[in-house]
Amino acid sequence: MATPERVVIAAAGVVTPIGQDLEAFWSSLVTGASGISQIERVPVADLRVQRGGEVKKLGRIKDWRGVPDCRASRLLIAAADDLCAQAGFRPLPLDPARVGVVVGTALGGVEEGERALAGDRGRRRLPEALYDGPGWSLARWLGARGPVITVSTACASGATAMAVGADLLRAGEVDAVVAGGYDALCRFVLRGFDALRSLTRDEVRPFDRRRSGLLLGEAGALALLVRERDARGARLGTLRGYGSASDGFHIAAPEPEGRGLERAIRAALADARVSAADIDLVSAHGTATRLNDRIETAALKRALGRRAHEVPINSIKGSLGHTMGAAAALEAFMCLLSAQRGLIPPTLHLEEPDPECDLDYVPGQARPGHPRIMLSTSMGFGGCNGALVLEAAA
Amino acid sequence: MSAPAIRGLGILSGEAAKSAQAKSADWGSAGAISGPPHAKSLKNETVDSTLQILALPRPDRPGDRFRRATRECLLALAAVDAMLEDGKASREAIAGERTALLYVTAAAYGASNRAFIERRGGVMHFAYTAPAVVPAEVAIEFGVVGPYGILIGGAPATLRAIGQAARLLDAGTCDRALVLAVEIFEECADLYARHRRSYRWPLVETAACLWLERGGGELSFESARGGPRAAGVAGAGERFAAGPLADLRDWRARATAGPVELSGRWRGEQARLHWSPEKSHARGSAA
Repeated sequence: MATPERVVIAAAGVVTPIGQDLEAFWSSLVTGASGISQIERVPVADLRVQRGGEVKKLGRIKDWRGVPDCRASRLLIAAADDLCAQAGFRPLPLDPARVGVVVGTALGGVEEGERALAGDRGRRRLPEALYDGPGWSLARWLGARGPVITVSTACASGATAMAVGADLLRAGEVDAVVAGGYDALCRFVLRGFDALRSLTRDEVRPFDRRRSGLLLGEAGALALLVRERDARGARLGTLRGYGSASDGFHIAAPEPEGRGLERAIRAALADARVSAADIDLVSAHGTATRLNDRIETAALKRALGRRAHEVPINSIKGSLGHTMGAAAALEAFMCLLSAQRGLIPPTLHLEEPDPECDLDYVPGQARPGHPRIMLSTSMGFGGCNGALVLEAAA
Repeated sequence: MSAPAIRGLGILSGEAAKSAQAKSADWGSAGAISGPPHAKSLKNETVDSTLQILALPRPDRPGDRFRRATRECLLALAAVDAMLEDGKASREAIAGERTALLYVTAAAYGASNRAFIERRGGVMHFAYTAPAVVPAEVAIEFGVVGPYGILIGGAPATLRAIGQAARLLDAGTCDRALVLAVEIFEECADLYARHRRSYRWPLVETAACLWLERGGGELSFESARGGPRAAGVAGAGERFAAGPLADLRDWRARATAGPVELSGRWRGEQARLHWSPEKSHARGSAA
């Protein structure tokens, strides 16, 4: 079978609770900064847990004219602004019809739906409330006139979006794709996770014996993808492979043995044409729920074999919370920046390792390392499992 | 890319439900469905009577597991049942990790989102508000644990999902692929009525599942912005993502040999899928 065309991640842009550009995001990760705070933008007094990774002020863009008054769209566009500043991508340097947008989200513009149901009869409320609304807002802001695709594989959405973006390039449908993920903190999701009792009142402690749940965060994370033959200048790395698999087990709980995640990892390695022995770093989903971290550990051990015990594995959710649709894209960027900068960010708040999570989860401080091939894993509601294989820029 | 072969297609349509209500006809291959379709006026807002929604009733599926399942989930399961019946296959034929599942919807999650926001219908399990839970119920019920994808959008997204299924089959990533589309409107009738000029009424609730396997013809997909609204959409009315599968059903019903062109438009994107099967996939011939 022919080797699929390589897809390059030329640049990335982010807006997160720990920094509103890629450089600030990276600095916060390696210094162990936390973006968790009391949530201020929406009422939370009636909720059991009132903290999260909130972006306090979207400061990047001064003029929001022409952009809907929709938090999700604005997070996405703020991330795109960072991306465009780095890549010189606005105004578009190529035919707008050859530029695609692929974004992943767990919630879309659901907050607009909340507003519409509360009586706000604004003309844009319903179109923005549909989950593909923010993706179209981003395309309008960019001036892109190629395909606009929204995927919603729950908390694996960012990984799926990058894979679909790579497929568009390989199919020759476009020459560049802005791909990634986003989600905003709103009453809807805060109330939902509060009701599920998934949120912790403690710190988010992935793989720690004392871990007691996750905190939600909001973010936008976008990459510029191009075919390798079209890539010019600096690049972050290469998207080598993607795999997905359903659990087919439960609508909210992960399959107890992590078989779906294991299948997704194996599929990603096969797609990337690499073996477990090639993996140098794993960015774990690592939500810090009792079940997730134990199951993920088991799945990594089976999928990677002995290599699982040899490679550093980190989770960045202790720093910024679980950013849902943005999480997988942010974690992919973290992997590529680790390779570029020679540092692996720590798993924040991991202080007392859980005997059931007995791999090297990078506690304490950032450590030196030069990973070349990296694996990033994601799991979501509905038994969605996704895995990306990334390669450092030469 | 190679055109996949159609192994089965199951459709539940609000059009048929309306007709069944009028004629007391049976529900075809849709399985047991109870309760009449009805239009609602929600939150004391008047819904223009000309803005009709052809609704599907909530399927009645036995088993405690479905006690809290949403209407869109149950309709998805009924569509898969109908697909298996059309393909004269047992559920074991689609189980396992060699079956891919691609789900497409523009708005089916609106009903459960609204129920959760307004705290209606007893305790809505929060997970049911996620679009991902519709294919998850199919995966759980039928043991489909292969690659998956979930696209949010209208008809172009469904055409793209068929193309994606063809690519997965071509690449040998799976042996069969299911393209599932569900659209329901009734619970948000008042919201759609506010934006009445954005849609082609009536809104026709539809749940459909298409079973594809490797084939030998040619499949090509193209999309562009702008252009005239697509012609040839099945029946009157709007089905969002489910439209192309209803068109495919109509094409098969005509037992037409030769190629079919499916088209659709959403938010200004016009997409076309040209499907030239090696031999006819029309029902009653080579399907």
